Amino acid sequence: MIIRIEPDSDIPIYEQLSNQIVEGIARGWIQSGDSLPSVRAFASDLGVNMHTVNKSYHQLEKKGIITIVPKSGAIISSPKEFNDSSLALLKEQYKPLIAESLVAGMSYEQIQDLVSSIIKDFKKI
Amino acid sequence: MTLAIFLFISIILVGIQTAIPFLVKRTIVFGITVPEKHIKDENLLSYKRLYTLLVSLLSIVVLAGYVFWALVSNPGEEKTVLIGTFIQFGIILFSLSLYFFFHGKTLQLKKTENWMDNLKQVKVSDFSVRSQDEMLPWYLFLLPMIMTIGVIGYTIFQYDLLPEQIPTHWGINGQADAFTEKTPLSAILMPLTLLAMQIMYLGINIGKNKSGIKLSATGTNASRSRQLTLRKYSSWMMFGVSLLLTILFSFFQLTAIHPDLFAGSAMMATPIIFLVLILAGTIVFAIKVGRSDKNSVDEVDEAITDYDDDIHWKGGLFYFNRNDPSIFVEKRFGVGWTLNFGNPIGYLIVLVPLVVVLVLSFL
Repeated sequence: MIIRIEPDSDIPIYEQLSNQIVEGIARGWIQSGDSLPSVRAFASDLGVNMHTVNKSYHQLEKKGIITIVPKSGAIISSPKEFNDSSLALLKEQYKPLIAESLVAGMSYEQIQDLVSSIIKDFKKI
Repeated sequence: MTLAIFLFISIILVGIQTAIPFLVKRTIVFGITVPEKHIKDENLLSYKRLYTLLVSLLSIVVLAGYVFWALVSNPGEEKTVLIGTFIQFGIILFSLSLYFFFHGKTLQLKKTENWMDNLKQVKVSDFSVRSQDEMLPWYLFLLPMIMTIGVIGYTIFQYDLLPEQIPTHWGINGQADAFTEKTPLSAILMPLTLLAMQIMYLGINIGKNKSGIKLSATGTNASRSRQLTLRKYSSWMMFGVSLLLTILFSFFQLTAIHPDLFAGSAMMATPIIFLVLILAGTIVFAIKVGRSDKNSVDEVDEAITDYDDDIHWKGGLFYFNRNDPSIFVEKRFGVGWTLNFGNPIGYLIVLVPLVVVLVLSFL
């Protein structure tokens, strides 16, 4: 899987990394059980600070997307059962984005279309 | 003989110096990052051609003059060596100043033509690239070290057989030409120096292995192939050099203990064979790596380019990036590796064994 970051972007690098890893899982490019490169290898391949990669991995671990195993690196976890608390967590993250979309003048249908087109793109339907 | 050796080395030196602009990474021209779609720019191509033309022309004239002078005035060995060395340094210095001239020209061109405008600068990495890495494992480098320890052990065992004068330097004909008093330390000094060098090679191999596999955003396939080729062949090359050095040094050490072990012709041939093998290896290495990214073509339609890290490259030659954990990175001008001067571990790997070798040689 190819990771592509923009160092000059407003989005911090660690967040770009997390976003792309999550997207890679959603698209099926990497699956649960696959291991991610070690922090040192990943950081030196990209030429970024090791703390940046570390931060991204810890963020993903906190969300339960990867498991960090000392000495053997980071492994993508198998999907957990979707429950109320994960729903609540995601809802908090959806809210500001949907609010912004409404403020920007998007209609209810437009937001719905956008969401389903992104899902279709990820799942290649 | 001396003239022939110097000429041989000089011709290879000139050959590589001349070809450098065509052996370096394709998106780096005279140490400057150039976006993929501008690498065929007329001005850039003419800079490359002019560099090659000037270096080869000057070298041919100087070397021809050198041969003529050496043949006509028969200056003697010492003078031939001195002038030959001087000429080699001169050629390197000349090509380096030409490099700096074109480095400035390219930088100017890039600025005035606004090549980086409207292009998104990105960095890429591939999760699967590490599994394709074919560098030799570090433990293989223990093999020549075991041989050296064996030679040290044998020397201690045969200490009485050693002559009162221990040879410390050998001429190109394989004959010792400098000696020192026999002491337990001076007897094993040479294999000890060798061991320090082998530790350095081991350290460099580990350091390179831990260093980044840098991919280009616009030429992912080409850069992947180049990086993997560079890593594979430079570890082979280092292992080969380490092994050859071990054989050469062991040969010298054994001849010191048993002067009649090898025939005179073997003594004559060994250093020459060593030299030829090293030079041939260097040429094969430079060509293998230089050509590795010229075949694969990547299609880029988006307005992206590689992240411009020219600011980390002082003069286009020295890499200084504190954030990058890589110890070594690929050279910008030339074929091979250079240190990341922003990473202190690099100094350690290269400097400590060097200091040890120097201290040993002054004992």
